[in-house]
Amino acid sequence: MEGRVFDAQVVLSPKDSPLGKVLSQYVCVRVVRMDDVDVGLFDRDWNNAIYFFVLNGDGQIYMRYGGRESQSPDTYNSLDSLRLALEQGLVLHQKYLQGSLPAQERPKPLFPREMPLLVERTFAQRQCVECHLIGDFQNIQRERDGVLDKLSQLYRSPDIKTIGILLDVPKGLVVKEVTGPVAAAGMKPRDRIAAWNGTPVWTFGDVQYRYDKVDRHATSLTITVDRSGQSVDLKVDLPPRWWWTDLRFRQSSVDPRLDFEDRPLTADEKQKLGLKPDSLASQVKYVSDMAKVRNTHDLRVGDVIVSVDGVEHDEFANTAELYLKLHTKAGESAKLEVIRDGKRMTMPIQTYVLSFRK
Amino acid sequence: MLYRIALALLIAPIVFAQEKYIDWLTNYRQALTEAKASKKPVFLEFRCEA
Repeated sequence: MEGRVFDAQVVLSPKDSPLGKVLSQYVCVRVVRMDDVDVGLFDRDWNNAIYFFVLNGDGQIYMRYGGRESQSPDTYNSLDSLRLALEQGLVLHQKYLQGSLPAQERPKPLFPREMPLLVERTFAQRQCVECHLIGDFQNIQRERDGVLDKLSQLYRSPDIKTIGILLDVPKGLVVKEVTGPVAAAGMKPRDRIAAWNGTPVWTFGDVQYRYDKVDRHATSLTITVDRSGQSVDLKVDLPPRWWWTDLRFRQSSVDPRLDFEDRPLTADEKQKLGLKPDSLASQVKYVSDMAKVRNTHDLRVGDVIVSVDGVEHDEFANTAELYLKLHTKAGESAKLEVIRDGKRMTMPIQTYVLSFRK
Repeated sequence: MLYRIALALLIAPIVFAQEKYIDWLTNYRQALTEAKASKKPVFLEFRCEA
């Protein structure tokens, strides 16, 4: 189970351990049922099976701790970085007690019992309100209401590695290595990330939450780092699809299931096939055995998909797979134009919805 | 006397365990109340165990 070891390490911290000594200065509470939780206040990426908040008795949140990357739920969890975060939490709390901590605008309350689809599938059937179900049913409701923004609500929690940040995880937000966009912006190893687009951040959980709030149309963001006591603002140019993450760990998400995976064609490959450089043409690299069972499509590994429903270019998608994820609803069909063994052909694809949502 | 010694030996590990580890509440509202009374901050864990 995701987070089981970290959960046990935190909850069973001896009082005389380094973490326990800090935890002793807190009121610690562990909540395992989401039924009565204000999910408006504790908004987060619901595909985290373990997540923490540091706050005060008035419900003012100081920081988040937790978060994950697609490949692993455990990458950013560390007892050392948690201890550092909690120490910082005590500093913020002192400021709060002294009246010098700026007040926050409290988000609109939202409780699971106010979410009709969630009620239907959990409370009404005496099922547990699992964390991920909150996010899943929020998105299903948004899709039904025609207000689902897939770029931000399906592709949640952009990966900081995409812009070149590798953290020294036990040290919290201290940067270990930099590449790509952040290196070009001037970030250096040993910098400590202090603010994200102007909002102070203390943990990876804070960073991921703030990164998630960046407009998906943005082309740059400002990261403030602490460098040997100096505050330095870095303007980072965001690469195309900086928000993209692998959705496969979000097993119950709203995206249409396709039974294939592809990769974008290179510029040379596009040129050889006479395709435009900004085409979304892609090559199929994997076809699930379930494609035949479900009669989803007749794609084969190596096929080049040139267009979807006649569309060859998209503002966001660079492959047919991504185009379908962004522009079709699970259960809808589309027409693919495919090059196989040098010959062009068209074929239908029938996307499908996860069975639990039918 | 022997009964008391046996009882003490029986209870000791439980008392020791309670003293050794952090006390965790399970009720969020109770945590807020205790935090206000003690002027401590709250450390809140959400754990999805399903």
